[in-house]
Amino acid sequence: MTNWHPSEEDLVLHFYGETGPDEERRVDDHLTACSMCRQSWSELGETLKLVDAATVPEPGEGFERVMWARVQQALPEPQTARSSVWRWVPVFGMAAALAVAVGIGYAWRSSHESTAKPSSSASAAPAAGGASVVRASLTDMQKTRERVLLTALNDHFQQTEVLLTELMNSPDDGRADIDFERETAGDLLASGRLYRVTAQQSGDLQLARMLDDLESVLVEVANSPEHVSKKDFQSLRTRIDDQNLLFKVRAVSNQIHERQKTLIPSE
Amino acid sequence: MKQMHPDDAAAVAKARGGDQDAFRVLVERHSRTIYRLAYRMTGKAEDAEDVVQETLVRAYRQLGRFEARSNFATWLYRIGFNCAIDYMRARPQRESAETDEKLEQMAKSSNGPTTDDLVFAGEIGERVQEALGALSPQERAAFLMRHYHGCSIDEICSTLDLKSNAAKHSIFRAVKKMRAALRPLMEIKQS
Repeated sequence: MTNWHPSEEDLVLHFYGETGPDEERRVDDHLTACSMCRQSWSELGETLKLVDAATVPEPGEGFERVMWARVQQALPEPQTARSSVWRWVPVFGMAAALAVAVGIGYAWRSSHESTAKPSSSASAAPAAGGASVVRASLTDMQKTRERVLLTALNDHFQQTEVLLTELMNSPDDGRADIDFERETAGDLLASGRLYRVTAQQSGDLQLARMLDDLESVLVEVANSPEHVSKKDFQSLRTRIDDQNLLFKVRAVSNQIHERQKTLIPSE
Repeated sequence: MKQMHPDDAAAVAKARGGDQDAFRVLVERHSRTIYRLAYRMTGKAEDAEDVVQETLVRAYRQLGRFEARSNFATWLYRIGFNCAIDYMRARPQRESAETDEKLEQMAKSSNGPTTDDLVFAGEIGERVQEALGALSPQERAAFLMRHYHGCSIDEICSTLDLKSNAAKHSIFRAVKKMRAALRPLMEIKQS
């Protein structure tokens, strides 16, 4: 017996057979001789056996069929994809989240300003009446903010659509000049990143993923040389096409238009 | 890792050419296995189904990058684990903030039924799933890949894009947390 004892990490690696043959023999020999380490080893093995006892509830019999139906709907084929537009673009959650965040920030600042420097009319107003006025104006303000945000989002996706359409429809007979596209892509990158991060934070994974796909294309375009070879240009188009980006951008734009209609103030 | 299904290669080749029926064969053959992985990662049937769908859609889009000599099931697992990690990371922050508290509670709850009761009630499985749920997405993925799928450290590194030490430490931390969380069950078992 030596002074050396395997650490917990050594035992875990030993359990999973991740040590080399020499180390394995060394640990085995030690476990034969050391009752304290043998106890730890045995506890580790028993715990990991418990982990094996955890079974996963099996999905129902028609699971494969249902899953195929769900997958097929999301595959890049215009006819089926069109029917799922409403399902895959949860843009309003993000828009509302941003609008509310901006609205709350605004309200916070306003309340601080009014606490620090109360106006005579505000201090004279009854407390309950004042609260309802604040609530009403906050709601109006949130709607206004959401409208502003949707307009910004709409601009972003419209410019993106123009850019993608240009790329998809430009003649590819030889070297392509994409100076305009490069500049536009560079402009769209920063705002696209902001929307992607916000979509991730608000849990809109599909939108975040779409913006991520879009971002990688924008990066590629923005960093392209002034003249692109026919091969590179075709590869870029294939990517846009494979990821169905143009269709997705149009779908988001449609969603934004619909939402904008619901926010038009009634006179 | 699983062995390559003999018919996968043919179906993959056809699916790469745009044959959706061929891809359907792959979906029907592998979706249940991916579901088990996704369930262990997310702990919820609905979330697991979403992860399976996303995994298969992502796989279809990336078929062009699949190397014919590779194992399709292994390749799909890798996509599945990454989808599950993305999915879990996008969950509200509060869930992960509850993690330590959950682990502590599990470690303290030593007053419980007998081993037989636990086994019959399937509670061991539930406790294990709870303990898994208290791990970070990376720890959980690394641990599940090693423990249930027999992936080597190298395979874990390449799937999760980690360095060897980071992968090992994820597994060490996961085992440590699992041991702490399951200690009450072990004590019941030993008594």
